[in-house]
Amino acid sequence: MLCRIVQISALFISTSLLAAEHWSFQPLKAGKGNSIDEFIQRGLAEKGMKSSPRADAHTLIRRATFDLTGLPPSDESDSSDMSDKHFAHLVDSLLASPHYGEQWARHWLDVARYSDTKGYVYAREEKQWVHATPYRDWVVRALNEDMPYDRFLLLQIAGDQIVPPNSPDLAAMGFLTLGRRFLGVTHDIIDDRIDVVTRGTLGLTVACARCHDHKFDPIPTRDYYALYGVFQSSAEAVVPCAVVRNEELSALVKKNRELMTKRRGEQMARTRARSADYIAAQKDLEKYPEEVFGQLLDDKDLNPFIVHRFTAWLEKHPGNELTEDTLKQLGSPAFVPDEHIANIEMYFPTGVTTELWKSQADVDRFIIKKSAAPAHATVLVDRPLPSMPRVFIRGNPLTKGDEVPRQFLSAFGKQTPFTKGSGRLELAQAITDPRNPLTARVMVNRLWQHHFGRGLVSTPSDFGKQGGAPSHPELLDWLAQRFIDSGWSIKAMHRLIMSSKTYQQSSQSSDLSDPDNRLLSRMNPHRLSFEEARDAWISAAGRLNRLVGGRPEALFASSNTRRTLYALVDRENVPAVMRTFDFANPDLSIPQRTETTVPQQALFGMNHPFVVQQAKSLLNRPEVKSADASTRIHRIYARLFQRAPMSDELNFSLGFVHEDQAPIIATADHSKSWQYGYGEWDESTGKVKHFKPLPHFTGIAWQGDEAWPNEKLGWAQLTASGGHPGNDRKHAVVRRWVAGTDGSYTINSTLIHEPQVGDGIRAFVSHSRLGKLRSATVLGVDAVMNLDTIAFKAGDTLDFIVDIGSGLNSDQFLWSPKITSSLTAVTGAGGDTPNDTWEAEKDFSAQPKSQLTAWEQLVQVLMLSNEFMFVD
Amino acid sequence: MNLPLTRRDFLSRSGMGMAALGLADLHASKPHFAPKAKRVIHFFLNGGPSHVDTFDPKPALAKYEGKPVTSHRITERKTGAAFPSPFKFQRYGRSGIEVSELFAKTAAHIDDIAVIRSMQAQVPNHEPSLMLMNCGDSIQARPSLGAWLTYGLGSGNENLPGFIAMCPGGMPIKSAENWQSAFLPGAFQGTYVDSQHQSVDRLIENIRSPHADTRVQMRQLELMRRLNDAHRQQRSDPRLEARIQSFELAFRMQIEAADAFDVSKEPQHMRDLYGDGVHGRQTLIARRLLERGVRMVQLWHGAGQPWDNHDNIETNHRKLAAQIDQPIAALLHDLKQRGMLEDTLVIWGGEFGRTPTVELSGGKSKLGRDHNHYGFSVWMAGGGIKGGTVYGSTDEFGFAAQENPTSVHDLHATILHLMGLNHEELTYRYAGRDFRLTDVYGDVLTPILA
Repeated sequence: MLCRIVQISALFISTSLLAAEHWSFQPLKAGKGNSIDEFIQRGLAEKGMKSSPRADAHTLIRRATFDLTGLPPSDESDSSDMSDKHFAHLVDSLLASPHYGEQWARHWLDVARYSDTKGYVYAREEKQWVHATPYRDWVVRALNEDMPYDRFLLLQIAGDQIVPPNSPDLAAMGFLTLGRRFLGVTHDIIDDRIDVVTRGTLGLTVACARCHDHKFDPIPTRDYYALYGVFQSSAEAVVPCAVVRNEELSALVKKNRELMTKRRGEQMARTRARSADYIAAQKDLEKYPEEVFGQLLDDKDLNPFIVHRFTAWLEKHPGNELTEDTLKQLGSPAFVPDEHIANIEMYFPTGVTTELWKSQADVDRFIIKKSAAPAHATVLVDRPLPSMPRVFIRGNPLTKGDEVPRQFLSAFGKQTPFTKGSGRLELAQAITDPRNPLTARVMVNRLWQHHFGRGLVSTPSDFGKQGGAPSHPELLDWLAQRFIDSGWSIKAMHRLIMSSKTYQQSSQSSDLSDPDNRLLSRMNPHRLSFEEARDAWISAAGRLNRLVGGRPEALFASSNTRRTLYALVDRENVPAVMRTFDFANPDLSIPQRTETTVPQQALFGMNHPFVVQQAKSLLNRPEVKSADASTRIHRIYARLFQRAPMSDELNFSLGFVHEDQAPIIATADHSKSWQYGYGEWDESTGKVKHFKPLPHFTGIAWQGDEAWPNEKLGWAQLTASGGHPGNDRKHAVVRRWVAGTDGSYTINSTLIHEPQVGDGIRAFVSHSRLGKLRSATVLGVDAVMNLDTIAFKAGDTLDFIVDIGSGLNSDQFLWSPKITSSLTAVTGAGGDTPNDTWEAEKDFSAQPKSQLTAWEQLVQVLMLSNEFMFVD
Repeated sequence: MNLPLTRRDFLSRSGMGMAALGLADLHASKPHFAPKAKRVIHFFLNGGPSHVDTFDPKPALAKYEGKPVTSHRITERKTGAAFPSPFKFQRYGRSGIEVSELFAKTAAHIDDIAVIRSMQAQVPNHEPSLMLMNCGDSIQARPSLGAWLTYGLGSGNENLPGFIAMCPGGMPIKSAENWQSAFLPGAFQGTYVDSQHQSVDRLIENIRSPHADTRVQMRQLELMRRLNDAHRQQRSDPRLEARIQSFELAFRMQIEAADAFDVSKEPQHMRDLYGDGVHGRQTLIARRLLERGVRMVQLWHGAGQPWDNHDNIETNHRKLAAQIDQPIAALLHDLKQRGMLEDTLVIWGGEFGRTPTVELSGGKSKLGRDHNHYGFSVWMAGGGIKGGTVYGSTDEFGFAAQENPTSVHDLHATILHLMGLNHEELTYRYAGRDFRLTDVYGDVLTPILA
């Protein structure tokens, strides 16, 4: 493996000295002060500054509600009395809301590099995790229940050793097992786990010590491999985390187990039979590459992975002989452990690995798709023989250095080797030990960061030398101590922070002497995250489905009115709009999202149908629809901003909706000459049977539903320039042209099918009276489909029909016909002049789907305004 | 309400200073030294084009046909005896560099091209090699070259994305990871364009409104400006103004992008020059984008891995090369005519090459070649490149790099260098470390610099 640290010619300082000196390794200090405000005021006073006055009631309600639940307050929120007592009551009720857990789970999921999918895997394997939904829902539940933070971490790192089988708390271990697959390369999977645990809980960048001692922090390479050993001694297992039984699933699991047992047995026999060859191969090791090097192997090949297992065994047992008996034992190089295929795919010939993954995928798909299936967790379990790790010199597994015991980091004092199994539980206990000053500091800083927009330490997952120094070190320690003393209650910390004057102060200040506001002389305004914005839009429209938990849904499926937390996160393909709005990269542990302002965000707001849909829904609410113009504007303002419009706002809104809109300059509207539908090709009549219009227009395509493909009509789609046939022969897509006037017409068109795979598509041109005029079957080629002077009567149609070959595979096509009238005499009644041309592609996108009404324009603008997007 | 009379009027009145845009604060935005090239176009022949059939002639393969080669190496699959190239090579240009008939039209420009014949990747598998070639690391999630370039230099046109990846008909293997921004802000990641489409609204997401025409949008933006101005009165957050400007920028982007992607605005002779297939069209679009200041355009050959010819390489390579030879030659010619070749870097290559030995499937040959990461060719032309150069070589048979073995990190260091960036100084702090595209490696290939 490669070594990945940028060389910096820093002064070489002995790391052991740093351990003593660096602030974050020091025990928590009891500073002078007994409230958040006292510490903050002291900082301000030193610079001769003052805090800002308390924000008004309306602002406080909006701030607290978005902060704790990620949702806007209801428009009926009573803002008449906002005494301290009243505000505390509001905070309590928000903390009791099930939506609190959803909002704060998302912050933790950023750190946990949460994804519903594994990322890139070979096709043999199911791409979606079986345990992502249970993990996400567990985090929500744990936060809602105010699970003590130390237990929250213990369960996520070593839940398997704390709770009984089938416990819902096993889902917690998704924290370790939801990372990328790294094409199955063990070293990288373990590296990812070390990284998420150490940066996530301790704010230490231990992964920097993979190749050599940490350049800045007291983390020697030995420490990295001490933790490496913990994870190397743990194997993945997929287990139910609910007590429900499902017979169908049990049968699938049994079948999968039997196949695995059979293939393991065969593999062990194969290796034993060729042990002499494996030993001989030791002389030729360079012929057997490492596991990153993917070779396709058959059952006659010596497996390089097993060759290296022989190497390790022989080194460890000098002078011993590998007898037939030894080879049958656990730990022998011929032994294949009884584990989930994810752990042991390297042991088998490629064909067998594929077969085993496919069998596993049948189980996985059942769990993912069937609502009757019990929830499953992917946990780590200790292997029967924990391994003693060896340092990989410069991170290279081929150059092994000293052995190191599995143990906790040396920066925390004298190390004692772990003794229980892999040591994972001991690791978790060391992390949550109240004497460990980092864990509490790191977490209270994360909480502070999400309340104030920035942590007291500005590098929330790096409390090392290279991280930021705390702006208020005494406050940080005071909070950390309170956190521990409260029994690690996260909700207690929210109450503590939100009851402070510091939190409740106004964000509007003209004093710019501290432009970054490090000293907190005012509140920092908050720009809504992507999730918050989408949830607020749907919520304003009155369409938010407040169901908590459950399977993910495609972000823009038209039926998806759930919170954005439940949008499918596919780490291989995060929707562009989510990336554009700074969604946390699910490949990496992200402690703080970047915040960018780019035009693509504005384009989404202006042009994507989503925001407009919400605007329309809001206008369709009965109390809005029925009201007169002025009341209507009041109700719109109440829903969007939870306030009444001011008189000038009311006036220009009224002006805006009543202003005569200049007529759209009319161009020949050919879009009416085209229809987009589907049906079944009938060879006997040469026409389409059961033509039905495609029901949904996205603005760029006609299809079954907003998502594509969708349950209604599968892949069927027509776009300006082409499309995709439906999933079977009953669902041919039909682009229909309707003749406006009698006459003869010429048709020019080229059908293009580009993919070189699959079995191609069939295409037909059919006249409503004359029947089939042309047909073609194409695979990866073009077909010219021209027709000269065809007679039409007004109302006759010409269908351009495409259906699948014998199967559904790579059937997308391009086909945008051009129709020209060849008659010059008569002017038709439809307004189309002779010698006219209808171009499928041009006519398709010449017109917006439908122009927004003035009211819709108004609401869309209000939904995109800064007032909507920022919380003061 | 005072509506602007014309679009021009509207744009001049919204009079934007560019300074406050959020992204400008995030990127380094300045080259480290005077750049030789200002923009990059990368033809990515995904799947792995065979070097011994294109830019690295190996007459020894004919001599040893059917016999084992001495430089044989382990690859993903089993391969057998020497398999001579079925394609004819000939010398081109003043430099006399040999190129196969597959790229005869491109070869007419060989005196502008530097061929690196000694490239090496790390393993013979697509996924890690794609990641290495695009992002500088086989396994870990790291920002792509295009993301680093836009981070380092910004876009040359605020109205267009700085980094565009076009692939007709779908995604290559590893999808959007090939142009990811990883830990860099999401705005630096490549904008994917499915170039099989012709209308702009199919090419770029949300670029055209399905529910409002320009006039309505102008009316809405005018209202939004008014609301936001009032809102901003009592507030001092610079993000408010940045967001106001982003809407006006977006409005202009709709017009500019639609124009950039509309090849019908090119004269017929230009469209003929590039050819009318999808590759001609995407290459012509790429030129229009580069002309407008887009920093990097990547042109993928197609969905999946079209160049991965384990079988019947003669037919398959011939067909694939025929699709892009003319567009590449047209681009080189066109850039030169416009005076753009001197500051545009053109890159050609795949994630690795192919074996000089024939692939065996169940012991039998289907006359294809397996993946080969030990040695393969990549070429560059244009901005700062010494044309008519051959750098490095593979062994007698073309199995492995022999003279001047060149890592992908070296290639990346050279590309950044040509763009005016020192690869050791272009860094980003993430997870406690200063990361760079070239990790701890990379040497600029000075012999191919002009």
